[in-house]
Amino acid sequence: MLIEIKDLYKNYRMDNVEVEALKALNLQIKQNEYVAIMGPSGSGKSTLMNILGCLDTPTEGQYLFKNVDVSTLDDDSLSAMRNKEIGFVFQNFNLLPRMSSLYNVEMPLMYAGIHKTERRERALKALERVGLSDRVDHRPSELSGGQRQRVAIARALVSNPGILLADEPTGALDTKTGDEIMLLFNKLHQEGNTIILITHEQEIANFAHRTIHIRDGMIHSDKPNDPILVTQKISALVSR
Amino acid sequence: MQFEENIRVALRGLIDHKFRSFLTMLGIIFGVASVIAMLSIGEGAKRSAIAKYQDLGVNNIIIRDKQFSDEELEEVRAKFSQGLSLNDAQVIKEVVPGVLRVASQAELTTDVKQADKSARSTIIGITPDYIRLLNIELGKGSFINEDHYKRNLKVCVLGAGVSKTLFQHKNPLGKMVKIDDQWFEVVGIMKSKALFTETVGELASRDMNTDIYVPLTTYMNRFTQENTLSSEIQQITVQVASSDKLMEISELIKGVLQRHHFNNDDYSVVIPFELLKQEEKERQIYNFLLGAIAAISLLVGGIGIMNIMLATVMERTREIGIRRAIGARKTDIMSQFVTEAVAISITGGIIGVILGVSLSLTITLITDVETYIRLYSVFLAFGFSVLVGISFGYLPAKNAANLKPIDSIRYE
Repeated sequence: MLIEIKDLYKNYRMDNVEVEALKALNLQIKQNEYVAIMGPSGSGKSTLMNILGCLDTPTEGQYLFKNVDVSTLDDDSLSAMRNKEIGFVFQNFNLLPRMSSLYNVEMPLMYAGIHKTERRERALKALERVGLSDRVDHRPSELSGGQRQRVAIARALVSNPGILLADEPTGALDTKTGDEIMLLFNKLHQEGNTIILITHEQEIANFAHRTIHIRDGMIHSDKPNDPILVTQKISALVSR
Repeated sequence: MQFEENIRVALRGLIDHKFRSFLTMLGIIFGVASVIAMLSIGEGAKRSAIAKYQDLGVNNIIIRDKQFSDEELEEVRAKFSQGLSLNDAQVIKEVVPGVLRVASQAELTTDVKQADKSARSTIIGITPDYIRLLNIELGKGSFINEDHYKRNLKVCVLGAGVSKTLFQHKNPLGKMVKIDDQWFEVVGIMKSKALFTETVGELASRDMNTDIYVPLTTYMNRFTQENTLSSEIQQITVQVASSDKLMEISELIKGVLQRHHFNNDDYSVVIPFELLKQEEKERQIYNFLLGAIAAISLLVGGIGIMNIMLATVMERTREIGIRRAIGARKTDIMSQFVTEAVAISITGGIIGVILGVSLSLTITLITDVETYIRLYSVFLAFGFSVLVGISFGYLPAKNAANLKPIDSIRYE
């Protein structure tokens, strides 16, 4: 089991009020799954994402990642987890604007202490996987939205992480470009990656193989998607 | 993160915001430049002072005949004092312990002629020991010696300046000059001497290059004093064995002179070494003040860095969030920003050093103020700038490191 969440609670203090963002959450995700997490604003899906991504720790309960209890880790260890096991993809790409694509992709490896030559090699490979070998020296400002997201995905892939965690990855893109990105995720899933998608759009969630609905800090439903529909969706895009 | 990578990231940050980085550095630049300039002015002053006093002899006590008007001279003579005399010198030599050498000199100012050239010069009658007491150097030929002295020979040694005026570039050795209507043979020439332009104690400043030395015995034989009331000699220079005893010995000398001059105050006793120490003390206060000013400006520079860095951290909140999300630890973020602060202050330090050195050299070039740049001052100023960078970069860096990744990433 890749991810196991047991009886998880997360509370915040906001303006002297105690907010229960997540309550009694239980969740399991296997290796190579493709999961979409859906929920309205304030449902706690962002909080769940932060905890899954080791950006935050639960107030109560356990978060086991590859059998390691992440909830008890200190700040440095959490940073190491994010560096090696979590590949973030954000809605706004979050690339460093003054650096080349190659540099952006190399960054997680810099923090891992990987040597220059190996770093470059791995970054180039990652960019190849997302189809951007011809854009390695370009800065984000010289790239289209879709290309920027690809760079971000390459950066997420470069450390061979346990999961790809995508937060509204198509939110800043037009439909066509968004579809291209979803095709890319599909390809990466077929290559063996575990993908967790956070979205509020049903259309996007339909690309995944399992959808979890969150409401009021608790899991409302957790069902596999119809595999036929998923395949149809992909084929429709590929043929275009 | 690897160290060199850190530096590259920091330098990148600097270059990306050239103008702002420069503004940040200004305080450091001026602080460092002023430290160096002020230290070099101080050092220059110190060296000038030492040179000045070395001329007079650090182990010397100089007794000078006071310049009195005729009325004053009459008064003093009436009270039995004959003024400074060879006898005084003799007594000092025999009676006062710790005295190494005693040299006497008499002076008059007159015209010196050679062929069609003429120069106004101070003729100094001296005892052969003279050259060993005072910091003067022979250029060519030989100095007045025992033989010249004992035999009252009419020989002279010319100062560099007067030699040039009378002989231009020709060799004066062996030639004759006319001093006050008497012919003297030139046996030596002095090396050129830098003039000290300030009065030391009661010793007036003068240009020693216009002096001509003759044996004191010859002087007394050949030159008659215009004023019969004048003292026999104008100066006695006493050299002591050890500078620790200077004060002690000068008190003894004063005692001797007091008795011999019947309590008349017609001489002055100057101890160059004591004057040097006095000046040193004054200078220390001055240097301290200058140092304080420079330190304050460095401090201001540091505060400037801190402010700019605090603003920079705020602006780069998003970037910091991204770095943290992809695995940067708090220490990674801290070292990035401290390195940036240090990079700013080191660059500022280097510019400041260049500015400070140029300033010092310019000051010497266009004014009379001496400067002397010592290597330690460069390292000191530079070292301080690094320290400032680290200290004032620390707080902003800590702020940056403590930002919560979740919030930072969403920061607009």
